[in-house]
Amino acid sequence: MDAEPLTIYFDGDPLPARPGDTVSAALLRAGHLATTRSPKYRRPRGPYCLIGECGTCQLRIAGQPNLRACLTVVQEGLVVESQNAWGPAGLDPTRLVDHLFRRGFDHHHFLVRPRLANVAMQAIARTMTGFGVLPELPRPGAPPPELHEHVPTVLVLGAGPAGRALTGALEAAGVDVLALDRRDRLGLSRWHPAPLPQRLLVDTGAFGVYAPERLIAAASPPLAGGSPRLHLVRPKHIVFATGAREGMIPLLNNDLPGVLAARGLAHLLERTDSQLTAPCVLLGDGEEAEALAAQLGVHRYAPADVERILGRDHVEGIVVAGRTIPCGVILLAPTRAPISELAAQAGAQLRFDGAGFAVLTDPDGRALLAPRPPDADDDPAEPPWQIWACGHVRNTSVDPTADGLAVAAALLAELAASEPS
Amino acid sequence: MTARAFLCRCEDVTLGEIDRAIDRGLTTIEEIKRYTGLGTGPCQGKECTGALARLLVDRGLARADALQPFTARPPAEPITLGLLAAARAPFFAARPEEDPDPKDTP
Amino acid sequence: MSAALGSAALALPAELDLAVIGGGVMGLATAYNLALLAPALKIAVIERSYLVSGASGRNGGGLRMQWGDRGNVALMIESIGLCKRLAQELGINLWFRQGGYLFLARSAAAEARLHRNAELHREVGAPTRLLTPADALTIAPHLCAEHLRLASFNPEDGVVFPWPFVWGYAAKAVERGVLLRTHTEVQGVSPAGDGYRLDLSSGEQIRAARVLNATGAWSGHLNRHLGIDLPNHPHRHEIFSSEPLRPFLDPLVVDLDSGLYFSQSTRGELVTGISLPELVGYRDDTLKQHSTLRFLTTIAATLTALMPITAGLKVLRQWAGPYDVSPDGDAIVGPSPGHPNFWQICGFTGHGFMMAPAAARLVARWLARGEGHPMLTRWDPSRFLSGAAARREDMIIG
Ligand SMILES: Cc1cc2nc3c(=O)[nH]c(=O)nc-3n(C[C@H](O)[C@H](O)[C@H](O)COP(=O)(O)OP(=O)(O)OC[C@H]3O[C@@H](n4cnc5c(N)ncnc54)[C@H](O)[C@@H]3O)c2cc1C
Ligand code: FES
Repeated sequence: MDAEPLTIYFDGDPLPARPGDTVSAALLRAGHLATTRSPKYRRPRGPYCLIGECGTCQLRIAGQPNLRACLTVVQEGLVVESQNAWGPAGLDPTRLVDHLFRRGFDHHHFLVRPRLANVAMQAIARTMTGFGVLPELPRPGAPPPELHEHVPTVLVLGAGPAGRALTGALEAAGVDVLALDRRDRLGLSRWHPAPLPQRLLVDTGAFGVYAPERLIAAASPPLAGGSPRLHLVRPKHIVFATGAREGMIPLLNNDLPGVLAARGLAHLLERTDSQLTAPCVLLGDGEEAEALAAQLGVHRYAPADVERILGRDHVEGIVVAGRTIPCGVILLAPTRAPISELAAQAGAQLRFDGAGFAVLTDPDGRALLAPRPPDADDDPAEPPWQIWACGHVRNTSVDPTADGLAVAAALLAELAASEPS
Repeated sequence: MTARAFLCRCEDVTLGEIDRAIDRGLTTIEEIKRYTGLGTGPCQGKECTGALARLLVDRGLARADALQPFTARPPAEPITLGLLAAARAPFFAARPEEDPDPKDTP
Repeated sequence: MSAALGSAALALPAELDLAVIGGGVMGLATAYNLALLAPALKIAVIERSYLVSGASGRNGGGLRMQWGDRGNVALMIESIGLCKRLAQELGINLWFRQGGYLFLARSAAAEARLHRNAELHREVGAPTRLLTPADALTIAPHLCAEHLRLASFNPEDGVVFPWPFVWGYAAKAVERGVLLRTHTEVQGVSPAGDGYRLDLSSGEQIRAARVLNATGAWSGHLNRHLGIDLPNHPHRHEIFSSEPLRPFLDPLVVDLDSGLYFSQSTRGELVTGISLPELVGYRDDTLKQHSTLRFLTTIAATLTALMPITAGLKVLRQWAGPYDVSPDGDAIVGPSPGHPNFWQICGFTGHGFMMAPAAARLVARWLARGEGHPMLTRWDPSRFLSGAAARREDMIIG
């Protein structure tokens, strides 16, 4: 990008950034892999998924704790601070915990007796818990939060390829459709070439589906510019096009800074016109992992062949069949898991697909409703809307664009049948 | 080998800890969550639930078609109290069906 | 694989001395205490889901001596005394932290209650002290003192982490020979001789000389099988927990005038609930556990007004749990009217967790040796028939 470079501040030091960078992008480019410590073993941690799903990139940004660095776009002078670390970076004395408890730590049974030792242990444990410290008070004069209400015929959650294909088809047919996505405009347009929906709220994450109150709630954070906004949406149809995420592959030392999600990193490189310079390997099975390895120009290994990941404060290599392969970044490309939490809140039935939980639908994309949970007299009474799902949230092996179009056709047919003109 | 292979990075839950819970007879996702703390951190189980389900199926402890993740609860994204507070007045104050206080609570 | 924390596959004998229905804190703590006193008894706990699936796995974990009635204050002095050594007794970390409860009064009526409580607590022996608004701020520094008239503080009050509390009772009960059968529902109860026959969801039928109904909010379902008519009914209570932050708040704070309560857990989350009247037309006796935005926005408005620094605090998870409300605010414990061998341990109206250590011990002593106690007399399930029910307590929060 040719726009003027920016400066942000990380733990007090100036750090160059490019317009359009996320905070994670600027930090990774500067080689800052570890930005926080884990709660129990005090292990160094940094970002993983790079798409706002895993939470380990959280930092104190502009005085607010626990903001996701991978979703926060840089601004000139932005103040970013590492969290949950003691003393200067790299010298945190609590790291000893990791070495003291090499064989694990059973928090239920650790030092229960004698009582006084137990009391002391709990007091010490308390001082080590928590991520970050209290937020700053809202600045005087900061724009107050706004409330927006919407009553579209169709609400589409997610403007990835599936959501875009579906929304485009509905818009072309003149349907009143609103789309939401947590990503920003730049992230969305670099993610996929298809045109964005006309009525699209970016930087806006749906956080709750409240069926008894007949509404979906979404929020846009203040850092995206202007007032923080709360959106309340009361649609007749909800389409979940929330896609899929990369879960974890349980390997030894899979938490080291420098272990990154392959797809998340590939998108970040595209977003920022950057290139991978660190020595890097990719771990994953199947065609998609192969394609990613080829796209990124890195060597691929099957996770089952990896004995362990090596490193202390960050990744230094992997051991495959007794052989050590040095590298600074390890990209994981596990089978993707559907992002179905919101659909589940809405009452959709889920099915384990081997990697995660997909929304169970009829062939047209109508979500099947979950049976009443066996362990609660819960009340997913008739939901006030029709629930649909398209793309990877219902099946991670479909072509999302084609699936979005197919579900759009079914939805249009249903709309035509219910409201003959 | 399992003491530093993480299933839930948010709460530092390793394979070793999952084994301990299973040893005590806990074999459902809800139970393992409550015994180990898996899924109770910043990402609320987004990263680990699928991997745990996989482990239970691979070990023959659960049938794939019978597995469900733990109850989905809002918020799916962290949300500030300041923003929520702003919605209170316009959204609920005007609702006629609000009952002053049917219970004798303070 | 051991069944230390229950199992769906555990074999049950055809005959039991006591069947405890419900694997919440009440059922497990009673089974554990009874097994200590009467090791020869054949006791089983039958839980339809997993062990912490009911209110016992969904509560705020608050324990306090600051009640408005003498009996409850004394009971909680005993319960908190037990909790101090309970981690060692149960062999599990409970993360019991005595940061005190700080009650706030912003109205004359609330102020009067705090004055009355302080007097009562002094008589009964609870170390409660009254605080000026300025002193309250030294204990909870981020509070907004506007309209604050008076506060009361008891340093013995505190919070625990509910899950290990239940695991601890369960594991120790099993160690003492209690059979712990999970994922099995009791679907029918019928009289059989002097005892009862239970029909289980597994298809089994077992006989128990005595049955303890420890199903809390679900207890009415079971009672109906026997035609036992008790006035406790389920209530849905919502709560949320925030992002975990470094310690910034020691006490659990209760704002008497709004019914708001909040504390910071050992893990750093703010755990927060509020008395929230159900909307008209919403209240019925079915059991609901859904979350609402109405709760979240109401509590956000109340909390950010009382502690403005929380405006930037993020909600991580909201949930709801069921507990049964008793019309006079007192628990319903003991033999059921017309069914001397079908016992209740229900009706704790949103405060059963803190009372469980003491209440379960009282009930176990009664079951094992017929030992009475003034609270047991007061909790008699038959009081609603005899007209002896009386409201004594006005410090019910939730
Ligand atoms: C949000 C919330 C916050 C709270 N905060 C506090 C607090 O701060 N302090 C405090 O002291 N108390 C608090 N409480 C109240 C406290 O949690 C309860 O009073 C207490 O846990 C009740 O325990 P229990 O064992 O009676 O019931 P539960 O824990 O509800 O156990 C009943 C069990 O019975 C099982 N069951 C039901 N029917 C059947 C059947 N037919 N067959 C077999 N099993 C069955 C259920 O699955 C359940 O596990 C709170 C409650 C809630 C919901
Ligand atoms: S949430 Fe930012 S890296 Fe995963």
